[in-house]
Amino acid sequence: MNAWCHIWFSQHTQALNLVLRRFKSNQWNTLLICLAIGVTLALPSILYAVLDSVNGLANNVKTESKMSVFLATNHSEDAVGNIKAALEKNAAIKNFTFVSKQDALAKLQAAEANNEIFNSLENNPLPDAFFVEPNKLDVDSIASLQKELRQLEGVEEVVVDGAWLKRLNYLVLLGKQAMLIIASLLGFALVAVIGNTIRMQILTQQAEIDLSRLIGATKSFIRRPFLYAGALYGLFGGLFALVITFAVIFLFNRTIASIAAEYESQFLLNHLNMTSITLICLIALFLGLASAYLAVSKSLLHSTK
Amino acid sequence: MITFDNVTKRYPGSHEALTSVSFAIEQGEMVYVTGHSGAGKSTLLKLMAAIERPTSGTVLINNQNVSKLKEATLPYVRRKFGLVFQDHKLLYDRNCYHNVALPLAINGITGIEAGKRIRAALDKVSLLGKEKAMPITLSGGEQQRLAIARAVVSRPSILIADEPTGNLDRNYAEDIMALFTAFQQVGVTVIIATHDALGNANYQNKVLHLNQGRLRSLDQAKLTNVEAPANLEAKT
Repeated sequence: MNAWCHIWFSQHTQALNLVLRRFKSNQWNTLLICLAIGVTLALPSILYAVLDSVNGLANNVKTESKMSVFLATNHSEDAVGNIKAALEKNAAIKNFTFVSKQDALAKLQAAEANNEIFNSLENNPLPDAFFVEPNKLDVDSIASLQKELRQLEGVEEVVVDGAWLKRLNYLVLLGKQAMLIIASLLGFALVAVIGNTIRMQILTQQAEIDLSRLIGATKSFIRRPFLYAGALYGLFGGLFALVITFAVIFLFNRTIASIAAEYESQFLLNHLNMTSITLICLIALFLGLASAYLAVSKSLLHSTK
Repeated sequence: MITFDNVTKRYPGSHEALTSVSFAIEQGEMVYVTGHSGAGKSTLLKLMAAIERPTSGTVLINNQNVSKLKEATLPYVRRKFGLVFQDHKLLYDRNCYHNVALPLAINGITGIEAGKRIRAALDKVSLLGKEKAMPITLSGGEQQRLAIARAVVSRPSILIADEPTGNLDRNYAEDIMALFTAFQQVGVTVIIATHDALGNANYQNKVLHLNQGRLRSLDQAKLTNVEAPANLEAKT
């Protein structure tokens, strides 16, 4: 068992050494291929970083989201009591406050600048209002709650504060879909690039492969160096992609900081976190491995025995 | 060691390369496979080395039936053989040392142990001084000796050579044959395919003579070939 382990280990270090030697003797080619893979992977990575930051922004703003329930000015006497009872019973509502039209007018009049305008009014134009804070803040639950409250008797209008938030959420969703599509299309491109590179290498090694088959090499012995090559292309490409992504975010942030300052905001793009970094490297490595496997299996099928 | 029983080989879309061939080769024997080109010599060698499988009949190698072995175990059977190919099949992108290293790498032998064996093999064929040379810079005879070094480096119990002296002049050819005799004397089974008379220099050896895919008498060495080489040598 021990000896078997030793052989297994030595076979893998042998293949890895061989691949690294080949990489070294073709430095420029290897570098260019890895760069191409890096650029391909950088695009979705940057997109991901941007979306992740915008999504974070949207989530922060959500907590401020409230609904205003305005009552009709000519509602019946007991409508306020009924609505209050209905709101208390509704499980989707965290808490709410009632502001009568008198209170609202008093508040407005308290601001000195408004004094003249309101003094000239004959009767109070403001409606009674409930300010509702929902339990769930996602788009769907807010929409259904809005619909529900609208149906209560005496309610004139239900306004969701920050309707722009809804739009932002949809935009982020759209961005996410675009990122997924771009990522999968580029993934295919990556498989094609790495697969083609490996196929070229198989062609240049054909004499060695044929000879090795004749003198007793197993299929996995022949396949192994190419699989390592594919995985390493992917991994190095992934590292290049990370470098590019970090550089781009760094550059963007200098401009974004100036824009955000104009809005008195501290918004900046987040750098990729450890999970994303690991994930990008793993995906790149796996794509490289998979495309090498496809290329080698196809080529080995064609060669004799 | 190697037993053929009623073996027929037919390649797809072609005539029978071998028809009902039966023979047995014992450990430590030196066997010549003779016949005109196209008589089936190469096919016979490929069947012996488990590179091809018979269409019908049984090929036993060390009591293992090659036809019944799984595809995945064939490589391990092939490692028992040292093969010298008609066209050398040297790799021209690496030096002599690394050419000889390939079979060891396939067997999982690397490092110091491999280095020792490679130098020993190169020494046996008198190429020790050329381990850093590229194969393309070697003469025909040296290339053939390099191919032999590669065939014996993993210490196979059976050595199979296809036309090892085919393109060599007489001096080189004699060197090569002396090498094969030396291997046989240390217990290696040596099987040589040849179309020329020099291959039969040692008349005590077993001869498998092929004619259009059929085996002629096994004892031809004693019947006909005693005279033949002498005659041919006299002519050339």
